[in-house]
Amino acid sequence: MNFVTRLIRSEIIFYSLLSLPALWPLYPFFTGNYTVLADPTKYLLHHFGFWACLLLVTVLSFTPLKVLFPKLFFLTALNSQRRAVGVASFVYACIHLGFQFLHESGWPTLVHDLRKPFILIGVLAFLILTLLAATSFNAAVRWLGARTWKSMHRFAYLAAFLVAIHQALGRKIFPKQVIWIFLPLLILEIVRLIYRYKKKTVSAVVLS
Amino acid sequence: MNLKFNKNWQLSESLVTPEKEYRSRTRRDFIKTLGFGAAGALLLPNQSSAATEGFPSKLNPNYSGKELKVTPFNYVTSYNNFYEFGMDKGDPVTNSNQGWKTDPWTVEIRGLARNTGKFDVNALVRKVGGIEQRVYRHRCVEAWSMVIPWDGFQLSKLIALAEPTADAKYITFTSFEDSKNAVGQQDSNFGWPYIEGLRLDEAQNELAFMATGVFGKPLPNQNGAPLRLVTPWKYGFKGAKSIVLIEFTQEAPLNTWQRIRSEEYGFYANVNPKVDHPRWSQGSERVIGGGVFNGRQSTLMFNGYERQVASLYKGMDLKRYY
Ligand code: HEM
Repeated sequence: MNFVTRLIRSEIIFYSLLSLPALWPLYPFFTGNYTVLADPTKYLLHHFGFWACLLLVTVLSFTPLKVLFPKLFFLTALNSQRRAVGVASFVYACIHLGFQFLHESGWPTLVHDLRKPFILIGVLAFLILTLLAATSFNAAVRWLGARTWKSMHRFAYLAAFLVAIHQALGRKIFPKQVIWIFLPLLILEIVRLIYRYKKKTVSAVVLS
Repeated sequence: MNLKFNKNWQLSESLVTPEKEYRSRTRRDFIKTLGFGAAGALLLPNQSSAATEGFPSKLNPNYSGKELKVTPFNYVTSYNNFYEFGMDKGDPVTNSNQGWKTDPWTVEIRGLARNTGKFDVNALVRKVGGIEQRVYRHRCVEAWSMVIPWDGFQLSKLIALAEPTADAKYITFTSFEDSKNAVGQQDSNFGWPYIEGLRLDEAQNELAFMATGVFGKPLPNQNGAPLRLVTPWKYGFKGAKSIVLIEFTQEAPLNTWQRIRSEEYGFYANVNPKVDHPRWSQGSERVIGGGVFNGRQSTLMFNGYERQVASLYKGMDLKRYY
């Protein structure tokens, strides 16, 4: 148990884990997967968008998990790595954007594309993630004050919501992966709200 | 500019001139190169042989596409939109080769024509006088493009054979339906079977082509075996695959993508760099096989076939009839 905690808390191991999804898309380039090679930037664009999204959902699920299972030791350890996961999501989103540049050839297209709802929504989500990543340092927390910082970082939920729409609108046909990525988080959040409501009423009863 | 490790991942296969290559290859090798490693081995036993009549075909010099650079065979046969077999580009090559049979294959000709009936696809090829090869540009509505050497026959030959009556204004193509083998058809939201259509005069244009092969070989399943439509001046989705029914009608059919999202896909679907799709700019296209850094080129009006087809649309507002 201590071992798992130590693993999670070890910076080197945790950062290596977080960077693995950036490495394995190279694999099909060496094995000759022709579907990937035919349109490599599209594949990379999707891959990094997918991981940016998955990491964002992952980091958002830490808090509700901790509220629901306060005694689970590795959740505490994971919670201490929240910042790393959040920043990783931002880094993957940056790479996603980078490949969108290669894919669609640069700024003019991006500006032109802003009239497409799914791109505009993606850019909004990206701006939020940028803001959050820029204020992820301890100094920023001190500078903003813990309360402001905390309410500001609640925008991460909005970002996740925008990414769900971005992803759903980006394909010709509704991609079912949106459901399996976001449904667990949605359920967790609902359970957490019910839980909080119950706790409140219980403590109210105790007080009176 | 290309990635340094380009040489490693673009297997020698894709670097040689396709023509030389495919001519010398047997069907077995050809199937092997379809898959990669274990997946390739899996594909072998179930491969059926589609329409074999008329091979080897001769290149028609009027449509040789000499100035075009043919897309490597492996990309043409593993990067496919064929929703009957899955949503991802890599799905069809796997899922269409798991026991789905394209031989024997019957095509029905129906509707406002004198010579209707059911035909074996090989017999049909014989009736229209065999096959030839043409190299055409292929432009997908998703803003990517290929150059493909098709084998097949000019659609107008089939129309002449059918002798449509004066009432016939449109021609409708219906793809196969077989939800047992076509896993994508198990998702009924799509509304199977796939339907496409052309105005009769469009269908009689010299470019409209019925393909039974690519690269001098019968069509692999994932490319729409054994018979598919090719209209190179239109977006790829017009090219109905694995056709079982050709019908002459008075009214325009409601083609599948128009039915699903009429604000994005119309009946005409002519390649037009000036009319954008809500999600893709149509002004340029990614060249499949162009690598990471040099994969884009400008899209041409009617995909470069303006000379042959522009007269079909004289006086039409192409923004409205997209
Ligand atoms: C900076 C602005 C952004 C742009 C211009 C952008 C652009 C795109 C494009 C062009 C696609 C592909 C659509 C297609 O299939 O044709 C896409 C898909 C996607 N993007 Fe973004 N995106 C942006 C921000 C983000 C952010 C911030 C995230 C997540 C945190 C994200 C996550 C995704 C996901 C998950 C997909 C779907 C991938 C798939 O279909 O497999 N995007 N994006």
